[in-house]
Amino acid sequence: MAAIGGTRVNPKKFHKNQIPFYLYLVPIAVFMGLPIVYIINHAFKPMDELFAFPPKFFVSHPSLINFQNLFQAAGTSTIPISRYVFNSLLVTAAVVFLSVLISTMAAFALSKMHFKLKNTIFEVNNLALMFVATAVTIPRYLTISNLGILDTYWAHILPQVAMPVCLFLIKQFVDGVPNSLIEAAQLEGAGSFTIYRKIIIPLIKPAIATGAILVFQNVWNNIETSSLFTTSEGVRTLAFYMNTLSTAGTVQGQGMAAAAALIMFIPNLLLFIVMQSSVMNTMAHSGLK
Amino acid sequence: MSKKKRNPHDKRRITRRTLREWGFGYLFIAPWIVGVSIFFLYAMVRSLEFSFSKVELSNGVILHPLENGIFENFVKVFTTDVNFPTILANFGVGLVLQLPVIIAFSLIIALLLNSKIRCRSLFRMIFFLPVIIATGPVMSKLTAQGVSSVPMVSQNALLSILSELPEFIYQPISNLFSGLIMILWNSGIQILIFLAGLQKVPRTLYEAAKIDGASGWESFWKITLPTVKPLILLNSIYTVVTLATGGTNEIIELIYTATYTATQGYSYAMAMSWIYTLVVSVILLLVFLLLREKSDRHVVYEQKRVVIKGVPVKNG
Repeated sequence: MAAIGGTRVNPKKFHKNQIPFYLYLVPIAVFMGLPIVYIINHAFKPMDELFAFPPKFFVSHPSLINFQNLFQAAGTSTIPISRYVFNSLLVTAAVVFLSVLISTMAAFALSKMHFKLKNTIFEVNNLALMFVATAVTIPRYLTISNLGILDTYWAHILPQVAMPVCLFLIKQFVDGVPNSLIEAAQLEGAGSFTIYRKIIIPLIKPAIATGAILVFQNVWNNIETSSLFTTSEGVRTLAFYMNTLSTAGTVQGQGMAAAAALIMFIPNLLLFIVMQSSVMNTMAHSGLK
Repeated sequence: MSKKKRNPHDKRRITRRTLREWGFGYLFIAPWIVGVSIFFLYAMVRSLEFSFSKVELSNGVILHPLENGIFENFVKVFTTDVNFPTILANFGVGLVLQLPVIIAFSLIIALLLNSKIRCRSLFRMIFFLPVIIATGPVMSKLTAQGVSSVPMVSQNALLSILSELPEFIYQPISNLFSGLIMILWNSGIQILIFLAGLQKVPRTLYEAAKIDGASGWESFWKITLPTVKPLILLNSIYTVVTLATGGTNEIIELIYTATYTATQGYSYAMAMSWIYTLVVSVILLLVFLLLREKSDRHVVYEQKRVVIKGVPVKNG
């Protein structure tokens, strides 16, 4: 247990003291890795293996048939697939950027500033956090139609920008930024915006990265805004399109769904790999507390 | 209020400076308030209104007053639907059982990941990976194929002993076992948050404790745990919220079906979701009361003092 506390220097090479850690970590890590192995395997399964009973985990005769079916189906539709990809990218990028900006600003205000109704606002956020999203779809539809943004990109972007979970997570990290740092900056004459940009943002980068990943996968996989708030195909997203293709009800639909799942998953993985160093490692060097 | 408590001498300058600070506060939070009021608050108020009336969805929404008392929809949820109370109870018990498992598991994993081993960053990645696919349809497919259950447990004698217990206790426990892997997959963010907290514990503290003769076990209880205690609260709340609003939840599915079923009606589904929200809030409140900081504060405070020594502090 002593080693857990991190009292030792970083080992340069393998030492037998590390064996117990691997004994715990490796089996659990294998379990954690299962879903990814499964997604990849599943997408390459030919028809007979997809429906095999009992289901098999690994593919034995990998084939590209699912992808071929998927692109064939995509080729028959009137709108090119690139349009859906563009829509998805645009919407996701806008939501991630705006929602991180809004959440960090709000978190900074809630955590480090003093004004009336501060606690009430945070309570409201906590209430919104718990509320079932399904229950607000119809009121949201009414709002969106009243705003006159039905069937536009705004209908995708605006409802998803304020994410209570994101604010909640980020605020906890801003709480950890020492007040003395901010006071020092104030003494030097820094205004609120400078403090926000030069102190808060750099120090909570890990939280921002985590929040961004959460928002990204929420938006990227979201099919509800497409099916509820839009009617023309031209503004719908890739997730929605993939979903309609793969739930067409045919036998091939299953295989296409598997292929679509892999395609939808790849951007998640890429983003994570790009961000993982800032998610995982900067916390140690950020000088918090 | 808290401002005054911090700097009592500020009292005479309440006028312009305080107002200015308030202004910046509102300025920073304004975009968020606008977003939440339009797309959450307004929608929630409307849904509350809907739950107390009869909704006719035609070209727009027409609300009719209820015939049998204002709580008709709420009463109906408990009287007409056989499933809802059972599912709700199961969910509640399941949540209470899963929460400590997830928290303990993620803390242990975070401790392991914080130790000095090779391939540490690779392991960290693997443990965070499920988070990025957890929302996808992949999860439900995996569960359907039984990947998420531990096969040994279901044939185990343990479950046959447990089955002597009353149904409402037995069911959540067996669910706990069959969803064990699911729980592991759900703990990526929690592991990350704990890890962030653990990395901030100054190593000198452990060294000092070691010199004073503390065992690893003791320094875990006396140093590590007090430091991560605020994070335990944060993680518990996060866990409850994700479990309660996640897509794989039976109640959410029930509400979803009810929302789009003509026979039951929209207002009925609204009543259901408000009951559900209340139950989740009560659970969260209990979690909060149980885990909030009390006497441990001085420990954390002293650590802060240790670390910020050398940084110029205004007041002291």
